[in-house]
Amino acid sequence: MTTATSPDALLEVDGLSVRYEPKRNPSLTAVSDVSFSIRPGEFVGLIGESGSGKTTLGTALLRLLDRPARISEGSVRLDGTDITALSEDELRPLRWRDVSTVFQSSMNALNPVIRVEAQFRDVIEEHSGLRGDAVTERVRELFDMVMIDHRFIRAFPHELSGGMKQRVNLALALALEPKVVLLDEPTTGLDVVVQHSILENIRRLQREKGFAVLFISHDIGTVLDLSDRILVMYAGRIVEENDAASLLRDPMHPYTKGLLGSYSDPRAETVRITYVPGRLPDLTKDVTGCPFVARCPERISLCESVTPAFAPLAGGDVACHVARVQRGGEVDGLAAADVGEPTRRFAGPEFVKTAAESTEALTRPALLSVDSVGKTYERRRGLKVERTVAVDDVSFELRRGEVTALVGQSGSGKTTLARLITGVDKPSTGRIVFHGPDGEQEVAGFRGRALRGYRKHVQMVFQDPYSSLNPAKRIGQALERPLVNHHGLSGRALRDRVRELLETVALTPTERFVDRYPHELSGGQRQRVVIARALAAEPEIVIADEPISSLDVSIRAEILELLGSLVREHDMGILYITHDLLSARMLSDEVLVLNDGRVVERGPTLDVIRSPRDEYTRRLLDAVPNPFG
Amino acid sequence: MRYFARKVAFFLATLWAVVTLNFLIPRLQPGDPAEIMVKRLAGKDSQLDPAQVQAMRAMLGTPDGSLWSQYTGYLGELAHGNFGLSYTYYPFPVTEVIGQAIWWTVVLVVVTQVLSFAVGTVLGAYAAWRRNTRFDSVVTLGSTFLGTLQPFWIALLLIYLLGYTLGWFPTSGGYEAATPGFNGPFIQEAVSHSFLPALALLVVTPIGWVLGMRNTMIMNLGEDYIRLARAKGLPDRRIALGYAARNALLPSVTGFALALGGVLGGAILVETAFDYPGLGRLMGEAVENKDYPLLQTLMLLTTAGVLLANLVADLMYGVLDPRARRAQS
Ligand SMILES: Nc1ncnc2c1ncn2[C@@H]1O[C@H](COP(=O)(O)OP(=O)(O)OP(=O)(O)O)[C@@H](O)[C@H]1O
Ligand code: SF4
Ligand SMILES: [Mg+2]
Repeated sequence: MTTATSPDALLEVDGLSVRYEPKRNPSLTAVSDVSFSIRPGEFVGLIGESGSGKTTLGTALLRLLDRPARISEGSVRLDGTDITALSEDELRPLRWRDVSTVFQSSMNALNPVIRVEAQFRDVIEEHSGLRGDAVTERVRELFDMVMIDHRFIRAFPHELSGGMKQRVNLALALALEPKVVLLDEPTTGLDVVVQHSILENIRRLQREKGFAVLFISHDIGTVLDLSDRILVMYAGRIVEENDAASLLRDPMHPYTKGLLGSYSDPRAETVRITYVPGRLPDLTKDVTGCPFVARCPERISLCESVTPAFAPLAGGDVACHVARVQRGGEVDGLAAADVGEPTRRFAGPEFVKTAAESTEALTRPALLSVDSVGKTYERRRGLKVERTVAVDDVSFELRRGEVTALVGQSGSGKTTLARLITGVDKPSTGRIVFHGPDGEQEVAGFRGRALRGYRKHVQMVFQDPYSSLNPAKRIGQALERPLVNHHGLSGRALRDRVRELLETVALTPTERFVDRYPHELSGGQRQRVVIARALAAEPEIVIADEPISSLDVSIRAEILELLGSLVREHDMGILYITHDLLSARMLSDEVLVLNDGRVVERGPTLDVIRSPRDEYTRRLLDAVPNPFG
Repeated sequence: MRYFARKVAFFLATLWAVVTLNFLIPRLQPGDPAEIMVKRLAGKDSQLDPAQVQAMRAMLGTPDGSLWSQYTGYLGELAHGNFGLSYTYYPFPVTEVIGQAIWWTVVLVVVTQVLSFAVGTVLGAYAAWRRNTRFDSVVTLGSTFLGTLQPFWIALLLIYLLGYTLGWFPTSGGYEAATPGFNGPFIQEAVSHSFLPALALLVVTPIGWVLGMRNTMIMNLGEDYIRLARAKGLPDRRIALGYAARNALLPSVTGFALALGGVLGGAILVETAFDYPGLGRLMGEAVENKDYPLLQTLMLLTTAGVLLANLVADLMYGVLDPRARRAQS
């Protein structure tokens, strides 16, 4: 497609393709024929699932691609100059002065052995006439802009918290008042409340200073909250482009609908989220037809053979045959009668949670009673003994077939509570009682064999599916271990049970998964394996510690849905540890908000979300992007 | 500051432990510690040579008086640098024998180590910066090839080629006729005598630094902070030196301090090959002649050297890498 050179564009990308050509692996086209432009002062969001090519595109715009990646076609014009044609020496003076960036996972973007100030100083002195105290003065100003205390100017990067590092990176990006700032998931991995305040900060500074932003994220809620205009990327292509309001009101591409479907208003009586099943197509192969066809619920036969062009439609741009015809556009070989009316919904798998369901779940028999539990840790520091109250007077009940969400900031005592429940640690005060098959038993009283027996009933699922699976073991082996240990299975029975487990977590056909290694699976699939492994022991209680926070938004719903169905079908109780209130609403019936080890709020999830009383709960709620509210 | 204080305290404590063990071990059995020590070193069945026992006793002391007074006596002797008499060079004290040899080794090995480190690090850094170019391949393959050769073998080759065949350099000894001291002829002789052993060391020792530096730096070049430095539009030189090389140097610097501590081990072969009058050759002689007081002292010295090198490495690391200071204090 050709874009007429628009005179007012600041950054103009035309027909850009990027290929990775590794020596040993097959080449792939990570960015295919991408065209868009950004006007001065515009806030543009770029959204797409993991692996869709967002970072590759961003890196190409900065001309920072390293081997084996290279720009294979197209141009990137900055203020009319094609930067793909400049030599490194010609480009250097433009860097940072015109385009700056905050990297994805930029925890590592500051040089660890150099003071923060020096890392501002080198770039400021390189590109401006400021020297000496004038630079320090400028750094002070920048620190004020991102609201960090001046004493950290002389700090080393490791002395900053994750949130502070990101603020410093942001301040650094603004050091030379650039025209465009590229933000690649600048807050992924941070506490939601911190994320929220950094994003607000970004938006405010952008309005004040008037720089343009390309904001990359996989979280459509955040992107909608912040951006003026949105680009939706799929398999290396831009598939839809529109202003934020139109995109939200009338999404045209089915993939956009799918992404929007992962959000819902947590205050509603019934929340439903949809998700896009399946995975990205193999980018090493040439695509015939629409790249989304395998996952698209609206596909028609034409989609298999003809690749839809990315072209203007209804005020935006879209690459979809069906959307085009539905909105009065023309597609060869397709008539308006062949397609139905446009819908807003993604007609894919759906996860529904109603308030009535929760009310019913809360009447079930108790599985675990936590009664005025407290835990104080003592740590020797030289001669002094430091006492930390990690958990203080916490009481609640976990029922069969019910999910209790444990919500709170990092450091609020969630993990300690989980340790007490699994029997790894003993409470300093209070009791935890397990209502198991052998009647009521106090957890702190378990020893030796009884403790091992109890641990079988209580299984954990952790945050990071990447580190909780042994990379050298096949999926089948990973599942066999607990089956052998807990149930003494072997031979045929063992193999059958492994298959059953894989089916329970919907990794089918199972024979395609048993012999694979973890690195050959996607993040969502790996987390399914971790869950299957937890289920192998046939637990009564599952403690899921942020099981979805490291996953792409588009697969989060999938895991929530899996956990939800396990509760319903296996009559177990889940303690769901999170700091994301939307997912708490999707999964849990009751919610407990912890702050500094104490329960500051407790109640049926919907009630707490509708009328939060505690200040911290309110902040958490604010942090849930809510494009619909 | 706490970090540095802790490291120094740890060094002193270990040094004290080593010295004390050296005192205690021969005393764990009843009898004369000097005799026991000689027996242990010489083997159970061999004849006790009274001269050896005598030499040993000068260092370990006699088993008279309380254990405590023996111990303070022993520490006192050590503090005064009295390590006993050498058996080979009887009746010269061990310290004097070592004192003469040590400078040869220090000058030879320290100079070559420093040169190797500098050359190796620069080559490695440059190869990493120009990775996958012809320069990089030549340096990497060349180093790997040389690394497979034995230093002793290289030494022999050098003696044969440059010494016997071409006759450019003397092949053994430390000097000829000049009087040792700070005078022109002596220095000239010393330099020409140390040339071949130095060359033998210089062929092999930089290899570790080349490969180590190259690999660490290539890893560092993939870090986000390097990419950010490029995005910032900093000149290449600044990125290469101030960001990539500086950070990659950290492990090498520690390694270098440790290598200096282990100098003696490396020097033995080369010094023996060139019959060079340093500590390495002395060690060989001590073993051959069953000169236990000398051997003992050399061992103590080596241990202290390694400990000291460890200390220096830790301190340098603390200065260069701010993260280390916090992580351990
Ligand atoms: N160094 C590399 N060599 C080969 N292929 C690569 C390399 N880096 C990325 N890719 C591939 O390029 C494609 C796009 O990756 P990219 O990192 O741009 O995606 P992304 O949208 O930023 O994902 P995420 O949301 O996870 O950050 C993926 O298929 C990825 O596997
Ligand atoms: S072109 Fe067809 S397959 Fe592609 S998104 Fe549109 S309807 Fe779906
Ligand atoms: Mg990315």
